[in-house]
Amino acid sequence: MTETSGQQQSTFVGLLDIVAGRRKVDPELAARLTAVSQYLNQPDEADRPFLTVLLRTQGRRAEPFKDALLCLAAQTDEDFEVIVLEHDAIPEDARDVRRVLERLPERFAARVQLAEVNGGTRAKPLNVGVELARGRYIAVYDDDDLLFGNWVEEFKRTAGSGNRLLRAVVANQSVRPEMWPQDQDGFRTTSWPRPEYPDHFDLLQHLLVNFSPFMSWAFPRALFHTYGLRFDEELQVCEDWDVILRGSLLCGVDDVAALTSIYRRWEGGESSYTRHSSIDWRESEQRVIDRINESSITMPPGAMESMRRMVLYNTALDNYRFMFNGTSLRRPLNHLWDAARPGVKLAVKVRNRIRRLRRRRRDVQ
Amino acid sequence: MADGRSLAVQSVLYGNPADDIVRAGVALANSVKWARADGFVSEWVLHLGDCSPEPVFDDASIAPLREAVEAHAGVLEYTVFGANLGSAAGHNTLAAQSRSDLVLILNPDAQVSPDTVSVLAARVSGRIALAEARQVPLEHPKDFRKYDGDTSWASTACALTTREAFDAVAGFDSETFFLYCDDVDYSWRLRLAGYRVVYEPAAAVFHDKRLTLTGDWPASSAEIYYSAEAAILLAYKYSRPDLVRSIVAQYRAEGSEPVMRAVAEYESRRIGDRLPAQLDPEHKVGQFINGNYAVHRF
Repeated sequence: MTETSGQQQSTFVGLLDIVAGRRKVDPELAARLTAVSQYLNQPDEADRPFLTVLLRTQGRRAEPFKDALLCLAAQTDEDFEVIVLEHDAIPEDARDVRRVLERLPERFAARVQLAEVNGGTRAKPLNVGVELARGRYIAVYDDDDLLFGNWVEEFKRTAGSGNRLLRAVVANQSVRPEMWPQDQDGFRTTSWPRPEYPDHFDLLQHLLVNFSPFMSWAFPRALFHTYGLRFDEELQVCEDWDVILRGSLLCGVDDVAALTSIYRRWEGGESSYTRHSSIDWRESEQRVIDRINESSITMPPGAMESMRRMVLYNTALDNYRFMFNGTSLRRPLNHLWDAARPGVKLAVKVRNRIRRLRRRRRDVQ
Repeated sequence: MADGRSLAVQSVLYGNPADDIVRAGVALANSVKWARADGFVSEWVLHLGDCSPEPVFDDASIAPLREAVEAHAGVLEYTVFGANLGSAAGHNTLAAQSRSDLVLILNPDAQVSPDTVSVLAARVSGRIALAEARQVPLEHPKDFRKYDGDTSWASTACALTTREAFDAVAGFDSETFFLYCDDVDYSWRLRLAGYRVVYEPAAAVFHDKRLTLTGDWPASSAEIYYSAEAAILLAYKYSRPDLVRSIVAQYRAEGSEPVMRAVAEYESRRIGDRLPAQLDPEHKVGQFINGNYAVHRF
């Protein structure tokens, strides 16, 4: 399901406007809904950077962390700030993080701040970052991924009124840990970046599984500071999927038509996939699903057709299975074959006779 | 190792936006600052050679770059060539302007990491004559030996070489290579002379390349032409007449304008006796693998 392009307001505001705009709606209700809609649409007059980047790190991978900062420093659009969220770093790793930050070029370093966060799940540093963020949008970028030079530029180009989520395209690239020549804990890249995720956001598909790594998103400030969402600190993992789903249901999504980042898949070594058990993953996924399932949700324009197709497909699938599990389809097919069999036999005989005649004529010549 | 060698950084410009060069220069000055603090570099100079039809900089637009370089005890030299010399001749011309111990060949818009100059300078010594930085976000796919980094050739998007080695092989072959493969050829001649060429992954450089939505990297007509021309000439120079024949046949079969122009240039050089002297008859260093000049990891 792809939303209609060119929408400028959030899904929630769109719903308010629909109700307020009905011809026979209670005038007092219409006035109040319009007031809420106007409140939610009012421009943010504060002096803000376009984007706040929440860069989460535990300081365990110094070399990818340096790459992550290099990618940020090299952005063509510099209208952003960076909050490095150092989460549960051991003293040695924390020293490395500070050493890396000390060496940044002054002009970039002026836009970078460090926040130490101790305890809690992976969501906790993100919520600390949300409180500190000044940007019109907030993006999350983990310390082992890569950005192209137009990551910020493309988000900004697509951003409308600032009420909808922005979603760009990400490629996957495989890497494996390897010691480097000067004894750094490095890695070896083993594949070209592969754009394996869909280039359009499909909300219904995302209800099934998250097709969009964290750094493909820019979340509007309003999602957190007006609508009050926060990352779910009860979740061990899937904190990204949770906010992506709740945020996209509330605000809607605009696609950014550009590949702007690379998600590194680690072959061997430690990652969120190895650090957390399959039970953690299952329980977290279930919690995300349960929470949405227990609440009322608003679907964006375009959802009706997609859901009808899905229901139709499921119904057809059920019918198909039913017919083949029983005899109700086999029996009519057998009758059909019985009826056609004499005709088919006759056609084969005629064909064979024609072939024989042709062969004889060739032999005579 | 902290011998504090002198450094010349060289970039050849061609119509680049001035702001991009300034941003890259600021990142470079910061990296040299730390290399000086770490004891790897002593005095340094940034040489910009401008091949553009119209100079990229005037006094006002170059001021922030000069300020950044001088803030870290560097000297900025800006030379307008007044003609498009190409990469190889441009770098040879710039290299002749200094006598530094080390020469860093750098794409004009490539942004180095704070540690890059230190890491490369630490690596280039003894028989290691050329060390290449790892490009981000699109890493070059050529293979390198685990831990010691030895590789077939080094891309000069960002690579540090010693003056001694540069002089020993007479720099880049600007008679043969205009834009591409000058670095492959330089690397192979260093290796023929007994030097080592290494890939240094801990030295990162941001090279602003982009991919399409389908993950492709579309090449311009000029890129196709210059890489096609270089492919034929490199095969010829490294004593692979069989490859020259097959590449030329392949280009003729393909028939597009840029590759046919490359074939015509080769034929013109052949008839005019302007082909380079042939090297590596025993194929000790020249690697031609599926159109690449090294084993590729991916």
